[in-house]
Amino acid sequence: MAANFRLPVAESSEKREQIAFTFNGQQVMGYEGEPIAVALWACGIKTIRSCGATAQPRGVYCGIGHCYECRAQVDGVANVRTCMTPLSRGTSVSSSSDWHIEGA
Amino acid sequence: MNVDVAIIGSGPAGLAASIELAESGLSVVILDEYYRPGGRLLGQRYEDPKAPETEREWDGMKLALELVEQARKRQVEIRCGVTVWSVSPGWKIELGGADEKTVHAKAVLLATGAAERALPMPGWTLPGVVSVGAAQTFTNLHHVAIGKSVMVVGVDPLAISVALEMKHAGVNVVGVAMAPRSPMTEKLSSPSHALSQLAKAADLAPNPLLRLMGRLAGGRLGKMAVHALRWPLLQIEGIPVDIRKAVARIEGEESVEAVILQSVSANGVPTGREERVEVDAVCLSAGLYPLIELAQVAGCSLVQVPELGGVVPLYGSDLSTTADGLYVAGNITGIEGAKVAMAQGKLAAVSIAQAMGKSPTLPKEEAIQAVKRARALSPIRFLPDVEQGLAKMERLWREAWLSKEGDEAWRM
Repeated sequence: MAANFRLPVAESSEKREQIAFTFNGQQVMGYEGEPIAVALWACGIKTIRSCGATAQPRGVYCGIGHCYECRAQVDGVANVRTCMTPLSRGTSVSSSSDWHIEGA
Repeated sequence: MNVDVAIIGSGPAGLAASIELAESGLSVVILDEYYRPGGRLLGQRYEDPKAPETEREWDGMKLALELVEQARKRQVEIRCGVTVWSVSPGWKIELGGADEKTVHAKAVLLATGAAERALPMPGWTLPGVVSVGAAQTFTNLHHVAIGKSVMVVGVDPLAISVALEMKHAGVNVVGVAMAPRSPMTEKLSSPSHALSQLAKAADLAPNPLLRLMGRLAGGRLGKMAVHALRWPLLQIEGIPVDIRKAVARIEGEESVEAVILQSVSANGVPTGREERVEVDAVCLSAGLYPLIELAQVAGCSLVQVPELGGVVPLYGSDLSTTADGLYVAGNITGIEGAKVAMAQGKLAAVSIAQAMGKSPTLPKEEAIQAVKRARALSPIRFLPDVEQGLAKMERLWREAWLSKEGDEAWRM
C-alpha cells in the first residue's frame, strides 16, 4: 500500500474527489489543481528525478519555483517545475533527463 | 497590453496596492509566477490562544481570498503562472510562460517578496529535505505532511513558527536544532547569536507568536542569552528546541533516514558527541532575503542594509525608488510580516495615484502612519533591528538626494 501523507484536516474538511495521473508510467492519484509535486509527495513519491551529473536522487526543496530541484517532464514538456504546476486529470509526469530539452 | 500600473507579485503587498489603485480610477494588472494569487499569505495560519478574541487567529488563506475578490470586483486583472524576466524603463515588462509577451505600463510596483537563504550541509540534497517555507506551504496550504517524523534545522522565529504549525497540524516534530558550523553558515551556527536574536524579537511586544514562545520557555529567553545558555533545552509547546546541538549531517540512501546531532559550544564549535535520530524529513531554515533581481534589471539604485535582510532597493518614505515610476512594497523593502506588507502596498498605491494626478482614498501621510501602526502590531517579527534598518534607509535616501542636486545622471 502506498504511503499517505495527507493530513487529517484535508480528509475531513475537503470532500474533493481524487483524479488519476501517471508518474513514470505508474498510475497515482491526487487532487485536481494542487501542484504536481504536492500530489506526488502525498502518496510518498519524494524523488522526482536524478541528478544528471551524479545520478543521486532529487526532489522538492524550496516549493516556490526558485531551486528547480523538482523539475520533471510534464505532458511532453521538459524541465517543468512541478511545485508550481497544477495537476490535471491524466497528466503524464516523468523524471526528465537534465541534458535533453524537448524541441530544442 | 497597456495598463496604467503593473504590479509584480500577488501577495499581501501587491493585492492591497491593486485595490487602492483601482479605487483611484487606474487600470491595473498583477503578474505572478505562482499558479494562484495570494503569495505567502496562502500558507500562513497561526493562533495565539491568549490574544483578544478578534486577533486570535491569523488566517492568511481567508485574507488572500478576500483581497483577491476585492481586487477582481474592481476590475484588477490578475495573471498567474507568468514569469516576469525583464522590467525596463518606459515601462516595458517582458513575460515568460504567457501568450502575450509584453505589458506596457505607466508605473510599476515591485512586490516580489522574499526568498529563503539556502542552508547547505552534508546530505541536504536528499529527497525529504525541504526549506522551512516549503514545509509551511505543504502543511497549511496543501494539508500534506512533510514527513512522519520531522527535524527542523535553524533556530529563528520562522523556523519555530513553522515547527509549531506542523505540530498543530498533527505532524510529529522531533525537534528544532542548530545549523552546523561551516563557512556557509557563519552566525547561523552560533547558539548564543541565535538566542540573542530570538530574545530580542520575543521582547518586542505586541508580538503574540513570540510572546507565546517566551512564555512557554518560562520567560527564560532573555536570561539565557545573558547567562551563556545555561538551559540548553527549551520546550516550546512540547517541541524540544535544542540550542546546544547542531545537525551535523543528514543521512539516507534514496531519501532522508536520519539526522546526526552533535553537541556544540555556545559559539557553535562541535564538542564531539554525536547521536543519530531517525527522521524521514528535514526542514532547513536560514532566513529570508528580499527578492531584488527585477529592481536590479530595472536600473534602480540598490543598497546593503543587513537590518532589513540584505540588499534592498533604495527607497523613500513614500516607497518610490530612484527610477522614475518604479515603486516597491512588501518584503522587497525588508523582511517583515504580512500586515506591514499590506500597509506598504496601500502606501505605494497612494504615492503612484498621486504621481499620476489622481486623488487617492487617503492622504499620503496617513498611509505612512498606517505602515508604522502595522509594524507595531505585527504578530510576528523576523528581524529584530528593522527600525535601525529603516533609519539607515532614510539617511541613505536623503544623502542620495543631496548628492544628486544638479546631477542629471541620477536616473542612470
